[in-house]
Amino acid sequence: MAATMKLSTLGYAASMLSTGLLDEQFQKLLLLQNKSDPNFVAETITLFCEDGEHTIGELTKRLDKQCVNFDEVAAFVHKLEGGSASVGAKRVKNTCIQFLEFCKEKSRDGCLKTLDTLRVVFYEVSGKFKDMLQLEQQQAEATK
Amino acid sequence: MASNAQGSPVKALLVDDTAVDALILSTKLRKFHCETTVAKTGKEALDLFHEGKKFDIVLCDKDMPIMNGLEAVEKIRAMGEIDVKIVGLSADYDATEVFMSAGADAFVPKPMKLDVLSAIIQEVINKKNNTMV
Repeated sequence: MAATMKLSTLGYAASMLSTGLLDEQFQKLLLLQNKSDPNFVAETITLFCEDGEHTIGELTKRLDKQCVNFDEVAAFVHKLEGGSASVGAKRVKNTCIQFLEFCKEKSRDGCLKTLDTLRVVFYEVSGKFKDMLQLEQQQAEATK
Repeated sequence: MASNAQGSPVKALLVDDTAVDALILSTKLRKFHCETTVAKTGKEALDLFHEGKKFDIVLCDKDMPIMNGLEAVEKIRAMGEIDVKIVGLSADYDATEVFMSAGADAFVPKPMKLDVLSAIIQEVINKKNNTMV
């Protein structure tokens, strides 16, 4: 496990893994953090959260129209799928896969329902990521 | 772990518009002491080649705005850049054929595993070392 992350933070990550919110890809990310890249995990999950919020905003705008460009919608979903796979955000990734099916079927209703699910799972994982980073920061300040 | 007996770093061009993916792969490339440049679109990548920049390896995502990875790979090869190793990347697991048709040397689904990257970088290093002999 990453030597530079506090044990309590690793414990928090472990609980996210055990509940199926994250998969083993997140553990691989933790292993990439070391003295040369001490903020790697924080930077990665911060970027994921920012990109994800932006993507959900874009999807909401595009699906709000009566005439939906499903190729554009799929492009955004595909990007979030890739990013969520890279950080191990398993439920977000799986929801994106379902979303892409509705894009292929050009089903606005299906896309709208899946977008609601995507919001729930994304904000669940990003909320926990933010809590984890806050915990890490508090621990770092406490040991100064 | 990949190593370069001759000492010069492998010059990698990473082409990906997803910031998270670019950060993760750049960090992995750093583990192998690669000198990495990041382009966010196929067009940015192509512009680097037009500027005369040289790379040992290009790691190129498929779906990007302005110019996608497949078009970028085709155009890089059409410029006469036949020696640079080009690896296609995508979250689509079945993009092998399209990338190989475009002129890539290999395709790896995202997220790329560290041991897979190690093997690819070592191949590039071996080729560089053989060329220098």
